[in-house]
Amino acid sequence: MTVRSAPRAEVRAAPVPRPPHRRYRPRANVPAGIGAAIWLVIVGLPLYYLVASSLRSRDAYLDAGPLSAPGTHVGNYGEVLGEGFVTYLVNNVVVTAGTVAIVLVLAAPAGYAIVRSRSRLVRTSFSVMLLGLAIPAQATIIPLYLLITRLHLYDSLLAIILPTAAFVLPMAILVLTSQMRDIPAELYESMSLDGAGPGLVLWRLVLPLSRPGLVTIGIYTALNAWNGFIFPLVLTQDPAVRTVTLGLWDFQGTQGTQNVPAVLAAVTLSLLPLLVLYLFGRRHLLGGLTAGFGK
Amino acid sequence: MKLRSPSSILALAAAAVLATAACGTSGPGTGDTVTVWGLQDTALNPVQQKAIKAYNAKGDHPEVRLQTFVNDPYKQKLQTALGSPNAPDVFSNWGGGNLRTYVKAGNVVDLSPMLKSDPSLKKAFLPIVLNGARLDGKYYGLPLQGMQPVSLYFNKDVFAKAGIAKPPATWDDLLGAIDKLKAKNVQPIALAGSQSWTELMWMEYLLDRVGGPEAFAAIEKGEPGAWQAPAVKTALNMIVDLVKRGAFGTNYGSVGQDNGAADALLSHGKAAMELMGSWEYSAQLAAAPKFVNGGKLGWTAFPTVPGGKGDAANIVGNPSNFFSVTTKSKKKQAAQDFIKTSLTDPAYVNDLVKIGQVPPLTGVKAKLQAAPHADFTTYIYDLVAKAPSFQQSWDQALDPATSEKMLTNLQKVFNRQQTPEQFVAAMAG
Amino acid sequence: MAAVADRSARPGAIWAAPALVYFAVFALLPMALVVYLSFTRWNGLGSPHWTGLANWSYLLRDPQVIQSLKLSGILTAVTWAFQTAVSLPLGVWAAGPQRGRAVLSAVFFTPLLISSSGIAVLWKALLDPNFGLATIFGPWVGVDDGNFIGRPSLALWTIMAVISWQFIPFHTLLYQSATRQIPSVLYEAATVDGAGRFQQFRAITLPQLRHTIITSSVLMIVGSLTYFEVVLIITGGGPGAATRILPLDMYLTGFSAFQMGYASVLSVLLLAVGTALSLLIVRVTGYRRMTSQREGL
Repeated sequence: MTVRSAPRAEVRAAPVPRPPHRRYRPRANVPAGIGAAIWLVIVGLPLYYLVASSLRSRDAYLDAGPLSAPGTHVGNYGEVLGEGFVTYLVNNVVVTAGTVAIVLVLAAPAGYAIVRSRSRLVRTSFSVMLLGLAIPAQATIIPLYLLITRLHLYDSLLAIILPTAAFVLPMAILVLTSQMRDIPAELYESMSLDGAGPGLVLWRLVLPLSRPGLVTIGIYTALNAWNGFIFPLVLTQDPAVRTVTLGLWDFQGTQGTQNVPAVLAAVTLSLLPLLVLYLFGRRHLLGGLTAGFGK
Repeated sequence: MKLRSPSSILALAAAAVLATAACGTSGPGTGDTVTVWGLQDTALNPVQQKAIKAYNAKGDHPEVRLQTFVNDPYKQKLQTALGSPNAPDVFSNWGGGNLRTYVKAGNVVDLSPMLKSDPSLKKAFLPIVLNGARLDGKYYGLPLQGMQPVSLYFNKDVFAKAGIAKPPATWDDLLGAIDKLKAKNVQPIALAGSQSWTELMWMEYLLDRVGGPEAFAAIEKGEPGAWQAPAVKTALNMIVDLVKRGAFGTNYGSVGQDNGAADALLSHGKAAMELMGSWEYSAQLAAAPKFVNGGKLGWTAFPTVPGGKGDAANIVGNPSNFFSVTTKSKKKQAAQDFIKTSLTDPAYVNDLVKIGQVPPLTGVKAKLQAAPHADFTTYIYDLVAKAPSFQQSWDQALDPATSEKMLTNLQKVFNRQQTPEQFVAAMAG
Repeated sequence: MAAVADRSARPGAIWAAPALVYFAVFALLPMALVVYLSFTRWNGLGSPHWTGLANWSYLLRDPQVIQSLKLSGILTAVTWAFQTAVSLPLGVWAAGPQRGRAVLSAVFFTPLLISSSGIAVLWKALLDPNFGLATIFGPWVGVDDGNFIGRPSLALWTIMAVISWQFIPFHTLLYQSATRQIPSVLYEAATVDGAGRFQQFRAITLPQLRHTIITSSVLMIVGSLTYFEVVLIITGGGPGAATRILPLDMYLTGFSAFQMGYASVLSVLLLAVGTALSLLIVRVTGYRRMTSQREGL
């Protein structure tokens, strides 16, 4: 069969002109279609359960079957919102914004330096940062607890923001550098010929051209910060600075032991902001999620 | 895409950093307030808030503020916070060994002088309960809520349907009831096995019945060979026997207590009995009012065990929760005034009674009889007043490390993941 | 690229300094501290006391840590295998021209919009054996009493299923967008040559996806070290210690048993594993190379 060798050689030799409307079209794939249908059920059922149960009153939840038609009891949502959920959301937003700010401000010049600098110090530092890629943040919660309390930052949003940003930094720099590498050298040289120093190069050339990368790591960082759990768990306790992730676990309704439908309402509420983002900025959201790897 | 230009990104970034820094450093505990930490308890918290509001309204003193936390994370939060500058002024605790850790670290104010200077204060509380916060002869806390002994609760309808005329008084009665219930395809006992402190209650009572309170006292003191005592093994074997009989059903390992799942089994007639602390009454009242108000919830003392050393009237549970004052507090006097005044305030006591709690105050029985839920509250009062010994919950009495190990290993026994011998070896080693 | 005389002003190390200093203070310093703390005894109150090698010698005798390492290893390996086996075909399928794909994608994608803690809370409620969905699908899979997270033999598998449920949409996405970039010309040529669908999959799709498989696997394995709240919220490490993976063992030792010194030892273990993984990743994927991806095209 000539299938194996020919296509690869063709691709290497000359770029194949791609007709604009042509897409990858396999023949109708029945087994895969069935698999996908099964997966749809596996994903859909818990989601249905989530929303349906959140609309039941507590008694109805206990008595009705989990798959029965959803109730219309929106009181759970009201209860959740009234019990401080809005505060949690605001805290989440602040934590996310702060983390993204720090990461962008630090990663941009660092990425530029790593890509363009000839300094050995920078290269070794980059390697050190790469080491931080796979290190789980949880491994440092005990000394962080010690540090944060000694710095009198315990129970503040800053306590969450600072370590979160530090652990996102390696990935952010990695993505940014791989993006920045694509900037052609001639552009740097032409700017230098005009007498531009590194600062101006960064501002006028690198940042504008790295915009997609910055957006990507901005969103990647935002998602990480939004979903952070262990730092809020260990470094905060006051409900006033509680984040949504922690609030979902700690949440107790107005009825003694946990009101399960109310908790599920809280979970549903917590996914709405991201759902809105998804509907409006799907491409960017996905780009951020995959940290540009899918491209 | 205009927003995405580098200059505006950086400007936004700078603004966000400044904004968050401003939000970040203003933590709680600043300002002129007395911060009080308590457990989240939907029936109790409104009563506490009411008392605090009344206290704040009169008198010239710093304002008092209550913060509440869920049970399991509370212990962790408390320990980490007491070691930090954000320690509360007053905190709720279970007394006994739990309190001892903080006392040893010098974090708790000795309240003995306060009690000495006001004899009526000391006399107000039941000694057996006040002693829960008494360590090395000094008092470190005042009871803040009702007494919480553990009793066996049951669903009267389910019992009737299974032909069980009286609640079980002896161990044989219990086993007989279990058989009758299984014959009717009802899970005999509801157990929230995913949270091992519910399983602990069975062990606490069994060891007390079999070996008397001295058995655990030896364990608590850390005496060598305490875990290897025969009574421990006997109690564990009785538990395994219950498990093998299917007394707890099969899926108890997945059932939770904090989310009310076990309680729901009882109130919905899917299980017949549940061994739980006295808060079970108010929890059921809040979650399933018809069940309680309809008189379907029954209660009885833990069964006796044949040939056991323990007095049949001994009880286990939480003598109470206590309010203690932290040494780091900058308003120690205000804190002490608060607890002294509010905890004995008649309005507070009345409110406690109203929610079905039994305050550990001498002479409160008359109030109980005049209030709703009198049959339950007077039962609890008598149970405690007549008890020769009130064993504090083991996970509060033991130090955190041992307690954590014990809870994990006990859960393994309940799940048949390890034998009683292995449990003893794990605890003794 | 270096052939032309380079006259551009290059940034000095000072431009990377802020990031490095920040990383050093908030990441490297805690890592150094955790090593120090592993030689101390501390219960969270007061200050740590130096105890030398006491904690480390206990590590050699601790049966729990071996169990935790084993559980973590199983978790990583099985979730990787299962997620790859499902998301690869699913992603390839999703790259095709099915009808109603937008709606389907939205549904498939939703688990990613829920935080790990939300997913854990949802599944904990769902897995209630008396009132949750477990009462319904339990019998479908042979678990009649719905006892998933309470059965020692099933608990870890349940956790792995939840984790997969959460992350398969993400990896499907990776494979989907990578598959879309495979030139259709390859498949057309193969079809002309008479190759069957499965043959095309093996001969064209898989090799073309090699880079994505590596990326996806790296992300999965690195991520598996951080699965924490799912286990904490759903089983708390139980039943017994059946799901007590290493991060959870570390957390419970530190914040439940309040033995922060020994918990630091476990943290150092985690650090070591993480560092080893990072090194492996950098080597296998060649991230360190400074060359542009566009070279040669």
